[in-house]
Amino acid sequence: MTTTETRVARAATRAPGRRPRGDWPWAYLMIAPTGLGLAVFYLWPVVQTVYFSFTEWGAFGGHTWVGLANYQTLIHDPAVGHALRNTFVYSGLVLLGVPLSIVLAVLLNTPKLRGVSVYRTLYFLPVVTMPAAVAMLWRWIYNGDYGLLNYGLSLFGVDGPYWVSDGRVVLYAMAVVGVWTLIGYNAVIFLAGLQCIPQHYYEAAAIDGAGRVRQFFSITLPLLSPSIFFVTVLTVIGSLQMFDLIYMMMDRNNPALTDNRTIVYLFYEAAFVNNQRGYAACIAVVLLAVILSLTVVQFRLQKKWVHYE
Amino acid sequence: MSRSRLWPVHLVLAIGAAAMVAPFFWEFLTSVQSFGESTRIPPTFVPSWEWSNYTRVFDSLPFGRQFLNTVLMTAGRTIAQLIFCALAGYAFARLKFPGRGFLFVLFLSVLMVPSQLFLIPQYQIVSELGWLNTLAALIVPGMFSAFGTFLLRQFFLGLPNDIEEAARIDGANPLRIFWHVMLPLARPGLLALGILTVLWSWNDLMWPLVVNTSPESMTLSAGLATLQGEHLTEYPVLMAGSLMATLPVIVIFVVAQKHLIQGIAFTGSK
Amino acid sequence: MLRRRVLAGLATAALLAMAGCSSASDKGGDVTLTYGVWDKNQVPAMEKIAGEFTKAHPTVTVKVELTPSKEYWTKLQTSVTGGSAPDVFWMNAPRFGLYASSGVLAPMDKKADLSKYPKSLVDTYNWQGKQYALPKDYDTIGLWYNKALFDAAGVKYPDDSWTWDTLTEAAKKLTDPAKGQFGIAAPAYSQENYYNTIFQAGGSVVSADKKKSGYDDAATVKGLQFWVDLINKQKVSPTVQQMSDTEPTQLFTSGKVAMMYGGSWEAVGFAKDDTLKGKIDVAVLPKGDQRAVVIHGLGNVVYAKSKHPKEALEFATFLGSEQAHKIQAETGTVIPAFEGTQQTWVSSMPQYQLKIFLDEVAYAKPYPISKNTAAWADQERKLLPTAWDGSRDLAGVSKELAAGMNAALAKE
Repeated sequence: MTTTETRVARAATRAPGRRPRGDWPWAYLMIAPTGLGLAVFYLWPVVQTVYFSFTEWGAFGGHTWVGLANYQTLIHDPAVGHALRNTFVYSGLVLLGVPLSIVLAVLLNTPKLRGVSVYRTLYFLPVVTMPAAVAMLWRWIYNGDYGLLNYGLSLFGVDGPYWVSDGRVVLYAMAVVGVWTLIGYNAVIFLAGLQCIPQHYYEAAAIDGAGRVRQFFSITLPLLSPSIFFVTVLTVIGSLQMFDLIYMMMDRNNPALTDNRTIVYLFYEAAFVNNQRGYAACIAVVLLAVILSLTVVQFRLQKKWVHYE
Repeated sequence: MSRSRLWPVHLVLAIGAAAMVAPFFWEFLTSVQSFGESTRIPPTFVPSWEWSNYTRVFDSLPFGRQFLNTVLMTAGRTIAQLIFCALAGYAFARLKFPGRGFLFVLFLSVLMVPSQLFLIPQYQIVSELGWLNTLAALIVPGMFSAFGTFLLRQFFLGLPNDIEEAARIDGANPLRIFWHVMLPLARPGLLALGILTVLWSWNDLMWPLVVNTSPESMTLSAGLATLQGEHLTEYPVLMAGSLMATLPVIVIFVVAQKHLIQGIAFTGSK
Repeated sequence: MLRRRVLAGLATAALLAMAGCSSASDKGGDVTLTYGVWDKNQVPAMEKIAGEFTKAHPTVTVKVELTPSKEYWTKLQTSVTGGSAPDVFWMNAPRFGLYASSGVLAPMDKKADLSKYPKSLVDTYNWQGKQYALPKDYDTIGLWYNKALFDAAGVKYPDDSWTWDTLTEAAKKLTDPAKGQFGIAAPAYSQENYYNTIFQAGGSVVSADKKKSGYDDAATVKGLQFWVDLINKQKVSPTVQQMSDTEPTQLFTSGKVAMMYGGSWEAVGFAKDDTLKGKIDVAVLPKGDQRAVVIHGLGNVVYAKSKHPKEALEFATFLGSEQAHKIQAETGTVIPAFEGTQQTWVSSMPQYQLKIFLDEVAYAKPYPISKNTAAWADQERKLLPTAWDGSRDLAGVSKELAAGMNAALAKE
């Protein structure tokens, strides 16, 4: 919006004159339910978690102030470094699915294409399916001996690994599931972005002799960059918090579990398996720091590649 | 571009769609295999229609009860969010009051924080209220949503001013205007938020897993974890259970997909 | 209009359900106790016992609450902390120290006659002179085998002459890679597998004074090496990965492995499986340097914050009675702990030589524990599989485990 438009819009809202004063009690009343709920169940807990991260808990409740002890343990805990690395690897792999979603959206956006809604429904099925069920389903497909995947590979003479219990491949296997569940969701956002690109840009480019590939790189990608940015930020935040997949796919006696835990799994284990709530809070605070700093970096970087009209 | 040149596009899309759907197809086939068939190589593509796998799910879990819990949790969260978020979203979008900017930023800050930061204190609160293993534990913290408020605020901002102004000149108070004038206009936004909330509630795992530990008070997603703990790697039963747990949302999705997709597209456009 | 009514209906239903759930336990007069258990096979027996208890105490009903063993302890600790644990629940030896020392269990009545149970089990559940549980049952480990696969390979069934070497030789003959069939399942399970062989090799897991780990003892390592060799050297067992994808018990019941070390508690599940009829049996564990087996038993404990402490205590006492143990024996679920009821269990499933589980008691060693067993058991679970899958050298792994365990023991 240009400044003149804003000014006009402001003038318009001000016009009837007698509005704002009497509104504010109503406004507070309307905000109150959500406001109080968020304060009690979300904002105050954040403060408490930060406080808990400086405490140590007994096996069955009760906590004492221990200062920075948890943070010191955390820095020296090899499991944390490992889990951070796993989490980053997983997120990086899932990000590789974003280009796939762009291609999918571009294909779905083909003019005069029939059956778009059928395709969209099919691609969207994994998005709406319960993650716990998705994980169970893929664990079965990945079964080393009787799984569909290894059977398929064997037809090509490939001897597939134990996908979810072999430490070398399990993160990749889970990332494939992550991509599988996200493709449809991201494609829908891209599709909405594509539909905002005026058709005459392409017509002009075609007259200048640009082919479809050229058009894709010089028109589609730059104009889609706000959507790409949005999807990237969401995907990173989401995959940094991966839990359901690993919880459902890897049993406690899975030999690959120890080396492939994600940071949120570590949090869950500390908080609700080992009852080290203080340490768990400390892990959560670190996760917050990681997510915030990555998001800030992404917002900084966006100026270099995101084009807003 | 002429019709005839569309076939490569269809080919690529169809291959992709097959990759999306094939796992579900296999899930169904497995769910009607006997255990022996499920551990055979090559895999059994013509199963012996072992429907008893489905009844075995009911033997292992209070499935009906968990289904009801999930429905009530989903309905409770969704209805409350629709009402509360619409009220707050409207106030942020259309009313002026001191501290609006500050409060809005405070609301938004909740969106930035990963849910693990709330989990331990939320658990403490719920447990001190004596709500563990009750529906209240499942519903109440999920009734308030910063995301929903934000979504509906954006929606209200996009609505035209003139009808509201007319109502104001007639002397209606903001609550009346909200209820009689704005809410009906906001229907598409409410539908989108509603469906997103239904999906999110139905599929939620970590919170229900933590607060409701007795089988009678669990939701389906936590129930599935229990089912897996019990049948370990007996996949026909596990597949039957997960299909039954998933089916309702898939039906809702197929019926209401237009609104869901609009909603998602809308979140991406702002 | 219709939609509004539906919404209103759902909202009321939700409110009613909320109100209903939180106040259900406070209705005066009748009392409902919850009884937390983790074994599905035992639920019918537990419900029968609960029914008998209600016959004697008409105002008290008991609801048996099953949580699969995989999640039992996680959920229990969470719900004990949150004040919502079952009134009476199963306890095992490795977890007992932590619970008793934290004061979340209520001590038993002094009236019970403790001389009716094996002394080692009674002592297990005694903390600083107070008895916190009456023994519920006990279990030992046997060698389960698939007769059909033995017949097909022309191998003699296992008997009390078997040693580690006999087992290995038989396993070789029973392994057929072409059919995906293995001689034995060798998972990294403590109670079922390596604790037994550690004791058979003369090693130890934790010292008698609970101050030192036994994992740096050469004999202990020998007991572990046995299993590692079965997988990696003899190749007569599925790999750890394979057994993580498909449970050993399932590999056994589906005829993919010919032998497995399994507890006496497996019998009832096997007996119910029609496809196993006439196909399997059990034998005494093969001998190492000496005969040994791990013995362990559960106890029933009362939650200290139970809303009905009197009734809960009465029920826990009833669970320890001869009548309750007889019901366990008749349904064949587990070996009951009450003196003289064990034979009933043996004859409940005549198709198996269950007697071997009782015979083994003569040389059984108690399940290794300390005050906070879970702290080092967790390290066993995380470290040992890295030797089992061949990715690390067993000597290095056991040294690391010993060091970590000693550190954990020092904190107790």
